[in-house]
Amino acid sequence: MNEIFPSPAAGPLGRRLRRARGARVPVTVLTGFLGAGKTTLLRRFLGTPEGQGTAVVVNEFGAAGIDDALIRASADETVLLGNGCMCCITRSDLQEALRRMVIERDRGEIPDFRRIVIETSGLADPSPILQTFATDRALGEEFHVEVVVTVIDAENGLDTLGWSSEARKQAILADRLVITKTDIAGESAASALAARLRALNPGAEILEAVSGDLDPTRLTEPVTIERNAFVAEAEHSDGIGSFVLTQDSPMPWPVFARCMDTLIALRGTDLLRVKGFLDVEGCRGPVVVQFVQHLAHPPVELELWPDNNRQSRVVFITRNILEKQVRDLFAAVRALV
Amino acid sequence: MTVTDTGSPNKNAAEPVSWNFKLLAQNDLGGFGGMGEGIAVQIAKDGRRIAWIAHESGPKNFTGVDVTDPRNPKVVVQTELPTTHMRSNSLDLSGDILSVAYQTKKVGQQPAGLELFDVSVPEKPRSISFFDCSGPTSRGVHQLWFCDGEFVHMASGAPDFKPSHPNDDQFYRCIDVRNPSKPVEVGRWWMPGTSATDNVAPPPRHPMDKGYRAHNTNVYPQRPDRLYLCYIDGGMFVMDIKDKANPKVISHWTNSPPYTGFMHTAVPLFDRGLMLVTDESTENNASDWPKLVWILDARDESNLVPISTCPMPPVDAYKDRGGRFGAHNIHENTPVPTAWQSDQIVFGTFFNGGLRAFDISNAYQPKEIAAFVPAAPKGSTIGAIQLNDVYVDERGIVYTVDRFSGGLYVLEMDF
Repeated sequence: MNEIFPSPAAGPLGRRLRRARGARVPVTVLTGFLGAGKTTLLRRFLGTPEGQGTAVVVNEFGAAGIDDALIRASADETVLLGNGCMCCITRSDLQEALRRMVIERDRGEIPDFRRIVIETSGLADPSPILQTFATDRALGEEFHVEVVVTVIDAENGLDTLGWSSEARKQAILADRLVITKTDIAGESAASALAARLRALNPGAEILEAVSGDLDPTRLTEPVTIERNAFVAEAEHSDGIGSFVLTQDSPMPWPVFARCMDTLIALRGTDLLRVKGFLDVEGCRGPVVVQFVQHLAHPPVELELWPDNNRQSRVVFITRNILEKQVRDLFAAVRALV
Repeated sequence: MTVTDTGSPNKNAAEPVSWNFKLLAQNDLGGFGGMGEGIAVQIAKDGRRIAWIAHESGPKNFTGVDVTDPRNPKVVVQTELPTTHMRSNSLDLSGDILSVAYQTKKVGQQPAGLELFDVSVPEKPRSISFFDCSGPTSRGVHQLWFCDGEFVHMASGAPDFKPSHPNDDQFYRCIDVRNPSKPVEVGRWWMPGTSATDNVAPPPRHPMDKGYRAHNTNVYPQRPDRLYLCYIDGGMFVMDIKDKANPKVISHWTNSPPYTGFMHTAVPLFDRGLMLVTDESTENNASDWPKLVWILDARDESNLVPISTCPMPPVDAYKDRGGRFGAHNIHENTPVPTAWQSDQIVFGTFFNGGLRAFDISNAYQPKEIAAFVPAAPKGSTIGAIQLNDVYVDERGIVYTVDRFSGGLYVLEMDF
């Protein structure tokens, strides 16, 4: 359509936005193992001014047994909108739940929610949730995953991280890590857990919350461009590693697109999360890119760089893909384009 | 999936809405917060930023508000109308000259016309001149456009104009104010059939009969030879005003009937070949629904094609809130240094539907991206907000006004 009515004020990727989410509904993905304190954190959040107008989706993901039963029981009593209105949703089909919420909101049948918090069940791998917003075009236009918060309790967290690959993945994919129950576990346990988390996910902000007492903005504010870039190279026992691809000169969009196409085609399932900011040739502002496995979120150009540093910074969290391989791929494609 | 009972639809319909706007301040303008459809922003010589705002009705004429700090707007001046049988619903500013429209309640009353003020000292507006438009069949000026410091384009009656129907008393007039102390009419045009002296038959009356009158009269420097003229029940006209003394019709577009008339504003988006056209809701409880913001394919100005409308919230959720619900004024990309310019975002006021912003990047599928529907302001007699006009300054600060009592709301875009 823009070919017919192009706007000279738009960039190559469309209207420049003030922030990555544009006008979309912000989504917080709250993950963490059963008993870690997600619900406590959430209840406190819903009582704060920042929590007003929040709709909560409890996502089951086919969890079975005791976990499933407890989630259902929990959901039944949960007040899901921060403004005091009830809108309880538990669903295995997240996409349908979210779509239905949009329709019902537009019809005026449910309150006008301003934020979604998706509370995952304990065993959930957050990847499918992140993928949901890339696979469904309609949802991608309505919602934007603002922040992934993983809750880990200081009492059992270290142990859980040891035996559960899901728990490690939750920690690795988080933008923020919240350590709970430090009052019970003691300082040394909390420190040990923090050290382990820092090793797993050096880029994430690590916070502590006792009895759900956390600055509510930590559940709402996206991570800053600087923090996004701050990921030291890390190697994990599951073959999961993270690194930052940087480049100081503007990158032609076809170079980035071709490289990612190739990586997705060959190793999509091992691209756990790719996100960052690119200085794209022809774009005035930074271009926000995000991939989850073989799915790409539509790139968005922001109006302004936050500072004078126009360096491209893209974080890769991968499984058994070496940084050198990615760098070599980018160099090879760049030489050809 | 289980969704708990959320009660009957719209049970929360009357709750205020604030989505992707941040309210910075509200000012009821000293208790005279019933505002019209004129907002202009001046950078005064001392650096202060003054918002000049028209009142919907008397006793106040216009109000100047210091909005240098948008979180703390302060009234710096509020002027009085000379009589109770008039109002000054529209104003515009060019440099330090403020032009104000005077409309009387009935034909034949005075003062009816255009007054120019020197507002170089905002606290002390000084009258420069008055251009009389009163007459036995005139109520004076309803709306005016003044951006280039040279010409006022306005919807006005005239002493020498006799309409063929009493509802058709205001037509397009172009006033040369290059010598602001001696305004002179240089051109006029009315829809054929609306003058008693015309040789063509008067146009058929619409069921609601809001009149065949000029409303907004927009002219932009990108095309100084074009006038974008809305004519209420007559639809809208693209006019050639290269020869101001002889305006000529280039094209005409109307949606009514089957729609319910009252076409209000046309804003061309030159670079995109698009045009925004608004209706005005003038009936309570949405009985004239739907009143919309239309998007037209204007690549060929002689063949305007409607391609979409900006989406509205459910009429059932708003129609019974009190007062009007439907489109009215939009931010017009006023061609002055203090106006925000965009051909991708549309801001509109919708009375009890509040202020709404739309992303029209895809002109075929406008999308609402922000909404602000405050609670009924103090002193409201209808129990609902009635946002009447909107203006966005070059900083991106959004000014919107209530028609009855709420005065000025200052907001920040948060999208």
